[in-house]
Amino acid sequence: MQLILLPLLRFVFAILTITFSKARKPLTILSHLLDALLLSQLVLLLLRGTPQAFTVGGAPVGLGIPLIGDQNGLTFAVLAWVLSVAVTSYTWQDGLRPYFFLLLNLLIGASYALSFAKDLFTAFLLLDLSTIVSFLLVGYQRRPRQIWASLHYMILSSLGMSIFLLGIGVVYAHCGTLDLSLLEALVRESAGESWVHLASALLVAGLAVKAGVFIFSLWLPSAHARAMPAVSALLSGLVIKMGVVELFRISVVFPIDLPLIVLGVITGVLGVAYALNSYDIKRLLAFSTLSQIGYILIGFGAHTDVARLGALSYEVAHGLFKALLFLTVGEAAKCAGGSHISVLTANSHQIPWGTRIAMTVAVLGIIGLPPLAGFDAKAILEDGLSSVPLHLIVLLMSVGTVMSFAKLAPVLFARSTCRTCRSHVLSYGWLAGGILLFWPLSLLLVPPNVNLHAMTFAHIAEALIVMAVGSGLYMSIRRRRFALPMEVFRMETSPLIILLGFFLVYALIALGR
Amino acid sequence: MAAVIAFILFGIGILGLVLRRDLVIKLLALGLVNSATILFLVSIGDRPGARAPIQLPGDVAILADPLPHALVLSAIVVNFAILALALVFVMILVERYHTTDSTRIEQEMVRETDEEEKPCS
Repeated sequence: MQLILLPLLRFVFAILTITFSKARKPLTILSHLLDALLLSQLVLLLLRGTPQAFTVGGAPVGLGIPLIGDQNGLTFAVLAWVLSVAVTSYTWQDGLRPYFFLLLNLLIGASYALSFAKDLFTAFLLLDLSTIVSFLLVGYQRRPRQIWASLHYMILSSLGMSIFLLGIGVVYAHCGTLDLSLLEALVRESAGESWVHLASALLVAGLAVKAGVFIFSLWLPSAHARAMPAVSALLSGLVIKMGVVELFRISVVFPIDLPLIVLGVITGVLGVAYALNSYDIKRLLAFSTLSQIGYILIGFGAHTDVARLGALSYEVAHGLFKALLFLTVGEAAKCAGGSHISVLTANSHQIPWGTRIAMTVAVLGIIGLPPLAGFDAKAILEDGLSSVPLHLIVLLMSVGTVMSFAKLAPVLFARSTCRTCRSHVLSYGWLAGGILLFWPLSLLLVPPNVNLHAMTFAHIAEALIVMAVGSGLYMSIRRRRFALPMEVFRMETSPLIILLGFFLVYALIALGR
Repeated sequence: MAAVIAFILFGIGILGLVLRRDLVIKLLALGLVNSATILFLVSIGDRPGARAPIQLPGDVAILADPLPHALVLSAIVVNFAILALALVFVMILVERYHTTDSTRIEQEMVRETDEEEKPCS
C-alpha cells in the first residue's frame, strides 16, 4: 500500500499547496514527514527480504499497473526524498510562489511513482509528466535565456519521448504486454530477431535523451546552467536519473549491455573534455553531470551484481554532491556577481564561508577523496568491472574530473567574513552530511563484504594518485584553451545527432548479439 | 502500410526540425513527428471488424485492444500540452527578440550579457 500512497500523497499535497497557499510551508513539512515514514517502512520490508509488490486496482497479471519496492526503485525514491528536503530547505526564505511548490510536489510524486513502476506504459506517462514539470521549472523566472533553454529541452525531450513511444509500440505489437516482468521471458524467446533489435534501439535512444547521455541529451548544458540553483540541483540530481533508472529496468529485459557500456564511455570521456574546457562554473557542472552519468551507465552495462551496486551507489552519491555543488555555486555566483571562474576568483572574499565549506565538501566528494561518497561508490563500481580497458577508462574519467574541479581551488581557499543564509546552511548540512557519512549509510544498500572491500589500501592509494595526477596535469595545461565543437548543442543540429545516435545504438545491439 | 507511412512521416518531421530555422515551423515539424508516432500506434491496434472492448457474458465477438487506444489518448494529451507550452515560450521569445528565427535568437543571446546581479554586502 505504501507504494501507491507515496506518489499519491505527493499529488494530493501538490493540489493542497496551491489551494491553501498560505499554509504551503506547514504542508510541505508534513509531506516530508509522511514520506519519511512510508519510505522507512518500505526500506524495513526490503531489508527483511520481502519487498512490497502491489498491483493498482488488484487487476490480474498483465492487465493492471504493477508496482514493486525493490532495491533499485527504493534507492532512487530515497534519493528523491533527500533532494526534495534539501531543495525545500534551500528555498525556504526565498519567497517563491506556491506554483513552485506545486511543481516540486508533482516532480517528487512522479519520481516516486517511476521508481516503483514495472511497466513501460506507466513509465512513459511518468517520464512525460516529469518532463513537462521540468520545462516549467527551468523557465520559472521567465528570463529569455531560461525560456530558450527550456524550449530546446522541450523539443528534444518530445522527440525522445516519441522515439520511446515507437519502441513501446514495437514491443506491444510483438509481445501483447508492456509488463517488464512478463516481457523478460518473451524477449528471451525471441532473442536475435530483428524486432528485438529495433525495439531495444528505440527504447534506449528515447530514454537516453532524458538520461543525460552525451550524444542524446544535448539540451542539458544550457538547461542546467541557466535554471535557478534549486532547479538545477533537482534536474541534475533527480530528473536525469529518472531516465537512467528506466534504462536500468529495461536492461534486465532487452539486450542492451554493449550500448550502455559504449554510451557510458562516450558520455564519460566527452563530458570530462567539455567540462575541462568550461570556465563558467555552472556550465562546468552541467558538463560534469554528463560525464558522471558515464560511470552509472558503465556500471549497469557491466551486468555484474557488484557493478550494479556500484552504479546504484554512484547514482545516490552523484545526486548528493551535484545537488550541493549547484546550490552552493548558485549562492556563490549571486554573491560574487557572476558565475565565470575569473569573477568568482576575483570576488571570492564575498562568498560566505559556510557556502565555501559546503562547496569544498562537494568538490572533495566528486573527485573521490577517501572515504567520501564519490570514493566509496567508484571503488565498489571498479570492483564490479572485470575488463581492464574499462578500468582504465574509469581512471581516465576520474583524472579528468579532478582536472575540471581543480579550477575551483582559488575560490575554495579564499577568506571571507560573510555569513550564509540560515535556511541554506540547513540544506548544505543535510547534503554534506550525506556525502561525509556515505560509507556507513551505504551499508543499507551494499552488503558489508563488498562495502569493506572498497576501503582497501589499493583503492585508497589509487584515489590519492588520481587526485595528485589530476591536479598536476591541470597545473601543466591550465593556461591552454582547446577548441571543442559547440555546434552540436544548437537547436538545428541536435535532432540530427540524436538520429545518428539511434543508428549507433542499433548497430551496437546487432553487434552484441 | 500505415506503419511504413508513420516511419516516413517521422523522418520528414525530423528533417523539418533540422532544416527549418523558424520556431513555429519547427514546432509543426515536431507535431508531425508526434502524429507519426500516433499513426504507428493506431496501426498496431487495428483489428478489422472489432467491437468496442466491453466484454459481456457469453460474448464471443472480436473486441478491439484497449491498450493502444489508451497509449494514443495519453500521447495526444501530452503532445497537446507540450505544443501549447512551447508556443507560449515562442511568444515570450518573439516579444523580446521580434523574430521567430532560431539562429537570429541564438546570435542575439550571444551578444547579450547575463543580467548582472549585485554582490552581497
